[in-house]
Amino acid sequence: MAGTSTINLKDQFLNGIIKENTIFKLALSLCPSIAVTNNLKNGIYMGLAVLFVQTMVNITISMMRNFIQPKVRLPIFMLVISGWVTITSMLMAAFVPDVYAKVGLYIQLIVAFASILARAEMFASKNGFVPSMVDGLGMGCGFLFALTTISFFRELVGKGSLTVPTGLATQHVFTFINAKPLLIMVLPAGGFLAVGLLMAAFNWVDVKYLGSKSHGH
Amino acid sequence: MTGKDIIKITFNLVVVYLVGGLILSFVYANASPRIFANNVKAEQDTLKKLMPEADKFEKMGEWTIHEKHAKYFAVKKGEETIGYIIQSFGKGYSSYINIFSAVDKYLIVQKINVLSHGETPGLGDEIETDWFKDQFKGKDMEHLKVLKTDTTEYIQAISGATISSRAVTEDAVKNSVEFLMKTVKGGHADGGHKHN
Repeated sequence: MAGTSTINLKDQFLNGIIKENTIFKLALSLCPSIAVTNNLKNGIYMGLAVLFVQTMVNITISMMRNFIQPKVRLPIFMLVISGWVTITSMLMAAFVPDVYAKVGLYIQLIVAFASILARAEMFASKNGFVPSMVDGLGMGCGFLFALTTISFFRELVGKGSLTVPTGLATQHVFTFINAKPLLIMVLPAGGFLAVGLLMAAFNWVDVKYLGSKSHGH
Repeated sequence: MTGKDIIKITFNLVVVYLVGGLILSFVYANASPRIFANNVKAEQDTLKKLMPEADKFEKMGEWTIHEKHAKYFAVKKGEETIGYIIQSFGKGYSSYINIFSAVDKYLIVQKINVLSHGETPGLGDEIETDWFKDQFKGKDMEHLKVLKTDTTEYIQAISGATISSRAVTEDAVKNSVEFLMKTVKGGHADGGHKHN
């Protein structure tokens, strides 16, 4: 990880999307990703929920970093993560119940996300407010990008349709194929296939066009 | 590790968890009355949606399923009881599924609605889709059964979410109908058979 004084914010943001993409590069948080990516709407909602919680957790940890004793940092990180998840879901249930009815499920799942804990440990606990926020936004956007791609692919191949969230309250379903689609792609086994194929494609594009070395970090 | 370190670490953890607990309880204290009000409103909306033709929902009492309290209502149109709406819980894959079922006076299921649940997004949460819920219309006790094959006579399982489908059908809704059979027996439920 780069030193605290020389962090280029743009690079740090892109780092989360390309070089250290949570799913395609670090292969973290695959379990919840596979569970929710069988339609596009779910992928997008989950990605947005992670983007929000990741950023808030990074900011909180970076502000607390000089106060945390290194030996007990993990229980403290867990408290911050579960605290943010609980506060977010309570406030949403109180003030925007319609939205909460749609995305509440996704937010509660985030407590168990390895990627959030990983960024708290590897970045936010060693860096200041602004870089940590940018890192959270970058990692969150990378996650959103990965989930959108995976769920787009899985739903299109597995169901022949796309479920698009319009606003937060309704959704539109487009059906492209009326023949029997490859149902396995929306089942858990298909999740592994989809993630594997897209991970390979992502890394191929990265090595070929974006200039990463094939034996990266 | 010296004794001083141990004290420092303990102090650190205690302070952080105390502050975290205080923040959470403050948010909860402010949010919970609103959440409660929202839930009451959601319940009224659900009742209306389940039986739009009714003009009054009379609460008959509470019953217990999975050690949870659930309500049931007599649905009135004018003076006549046209059916019942009953709340129930089904033990799903990762949560208890909170369901309202509307039955007519012969205890045939008319419509169900999922009020809340914590099933897996993308798999179990398909219990909220119309195609799944619409299958319940016209089902009696014997036909509240989940099959994994194509069926219209029984309830067809959601692919990848058989446990959630069973929890709704064979746990929540079926137990509701069974309970109503025992409770309102001798009333309209029996009257119906005479007319048949």
